[in-house]
Amino acid sequence: MGRFMKKILLLFIILAALVVPGVRLQSESAAAAAVPRRVEISAKRFAFDPAAITLKKGEPVVLVLKSSDVPHGLRFRELGVELKVSKGGTGQVQFTPNKVGDFVGHCIVFCGEGHGTMALTLHVVG
Amino acid sequence: MKSAICVVLAAVSLCVCGCKATPPGGAEVRTMWSAKHHMLVGNKKQKNPIATTAESIADGKEAFGHYCAACHGLDGQNTGVPFASRMSPPVPLLTAKEVQEYTDGQLKWVIDNGIWPSGMPGSKGILSDDEIWSIVVYLRHLPPAGSVGEPEMYSH
Repeated sequence: MGRFMKKILLLFIILAALVVPGVRLQSESAAAAAVPRRVEISAKRFAFDPAAITLKKGEPVVLVLKSSDVPHGLRFRELGVELKVSKGGTGQVQFTPNKVGDFVGHCIVFCGEGHGTMALTLHVVG
Repeated sequence: MKSAICVVLAAVSLCVCGCKATPPGGAEVRTMWSAKHHMLVGNKKQKNPIATTAESIADGKEAFGHYCAACHGLDGQNTGVPFASRMSPPVPLLTAKEVQEYTDGQLKWVIDNGIWPSGMPGSKGILSDDEIWSIVVYLRHLPPAGSVGEPEMYSH
């Protein structure tokens, strides 16, 4: 093999070594972007648990709401997100936060005397 | 002795007349309207953060139907509420000028704090701010009286 061919081969190996991990990294991040983050929330008279969640702007998320007693609901008016669950039931909603800030969601199914205090805060960071 | 009897009779007459319950006169109504609108009911300048849309009206209607309808009917005009006229004072029609002349902020205040001693309870903590503001939107767009039926609790 001539010196020229050796150089070509070396160059090819270097390029391949650079390109392959890059492709793998890209496909991993694409896969991560395709699978939304799943956050489980428990709803019980008269609180959500957790009461605060931090999300990333642009990152898809699935909020899973589980009622441990009566029917409940959750609405973030500013984000256009809403779901309701039946007595002891589970519901979910997927969305992608498109703005940064603190958003307070409330129970939207009347559930008793403390219904108005039942809130959950989403901290959406950039 | 005669003068003593006269004094007692006069005092009794005054007491009896003073205790007699009659509907308020025009001056009393105007005085109370002015006191409520300018002094007693606060939050006059706060604006409703919820825009009026078909959705927010529907949200307000739903929240109103869960809670306020027990006394005000689904339409805010007492339809189907059996005791509305027996309350003292009677439950007002929410379409009435005396109600609609409150600002949005004042309506929020009334729902939050109630009006003592009218029988209107405060709802702060029972309803969320979001619901109360959406109810204020609904109050500005009440349907015609009787057009949305009666509260379920009174129709069974």
